[in-house]
Amino acid sequence: MKFLCVPCDTPMKLQTVVPPDRGSLSVLYSCPECGYEIAMLTNAYETQVVQSLGVKIGPAGGDATQTASAGGCPFPSMIPGNGDVKPAGAGETIPIRWTAAAEARLTNIPEFVRPMAKTGIEKFARDRGSNEVDEKILDEAKEFFGM
Amino acid sequence: MKGYHDIAGDGGSRILEQVVEKQTRIADGLAGVRHLVAVGSGKGGVGKSTLTLHLAGALRARGLRIAILDADFNGPSQARMAGVQNAVFVPGSHKLSLPRTVNGISVFSMGSLIPESKALEFDSAVQGESHTWRATKEFALLGDILGSCEWGTLDLLMFDLPPGADRTVQYADFLGPRTSFVLVTIPSEVSRGVVARSVAALSKGPNRVLGYVENMSGYYCRECDAIKPLFDSADASALDIPCLATVPFDPELARHCDRGLPLELRDTPVGRALDHVAQQLLHRLESTTS
Repeated sequence: MKFLCVPCDTPMKLQTVVPPDRGSLSVLYSCPECGYEIAMLTNAYETQVVQSLGVKIGPAGGDATQTASAGGCPFPSMIPGNGDVKPAGAGETIPIRWTAAAEARLTNIPEFVRPMAKTGIEKFARDRGSNEVDEKILDEAKEFFGM
Repeated sequence: MKGYHDIAGDGGSRILEQVVEKQTRIADGLAGVRHLVAVGSGKGGVGKSTLTLHLAGALRARGLRIAILDADFNGPSQARMAGVQNAVFVPGSHKLSLPRTVNGISVFSMGSLIPESKALEFDSAVQGESHTWRATKEFALLGDILGSCEWGTLDLLMFDLPPGADRTVQYADFLGPRTSFVLVTIPSEVSRGVVARSVAALSKGPNRVLGYVENMSGYYCRECDAIKPLFDSADASALDIPCLATVPFDPELARHCDRGLPLELRDTPVGRALDHVAQQLLHRLESTTS
């Protein structure tokens, strides 16, 4: 979908997106020539169509406040470790720290796998007497599980 | 006044770009996979998943590098049967490393993520309208899995498809012409009729249908070491595609699948039949690959 400022005959630019509220996204566009602003307000069906594609909506390079995550975990309430669904072994109290590099690797995997991956790797680290997950632990886990 | 096609880009939403990026990520991830083979049927309950897993085992025993993607998101059974139900998922250097079976087959199954006590439900902005978007959600999920798992260098990536002739064609559309199909039936007219619909539907597209496997063609009695009849199908008509092999039902194999335990099939009629399917499959893949 594209928007055209008719008086200027100029394509409008996406400025910001307000995350879904009761199924509706608010997407603000402005004309780079005259500065005129419009907001596209989607109904729940329209929001659902975009969400089903698993894409993010927002200006290129925009931060989280300008971007509506239409991707992410499509079924967050079902995955152990997400929300109120407790993973096996939940209740462990020893906190495990993730190094930045290990955390970066975690963000490379699908969002719906992350909670279980996190739980499993933290248990693997604990079993080895470590309270930190770094890349070495991740590589050891890969080798241990024959991956 | 400018029209849609006079305007380059989409004003910044990048939706089309993101869809293309996803497709590129999938293509890159599968670049090291020699063959994509989908095991489908159209009919439910004919043993697609069991056959997929044990055909993968027969191919693995020939030294091939194999992975299985359980594409039946609503009834995932590969996790339990392959013994990876409680597997640990490990983030690799760039993508997700996959759990493996004891004989070295990589497996992705939603059954490793979602407990069997739960049915897969997608979060939705619209309640009570899942029929309008469910397929899109499922294929977006399939794309995410294909694009974010470390498939590496494989001889075959096998897809265990859900039932439904329409679904089989949707997967063919999504996976593209690189994907070849093996269809599974059992010796019943009802099953053959449904599978014939899948054959007809697939014949309209570019995907190769390598042939079919007649599963449960009798049952293997271990006490007698003999194949006994399971269905009365003496005058059943064949499907209009090559029959790769017939595979008898083995109750012991079914028990092992339930427990996620491997079963030594060598020197059994089932093992020999599966090896024959593997041989036929490879022969047809190689003979139809340019």
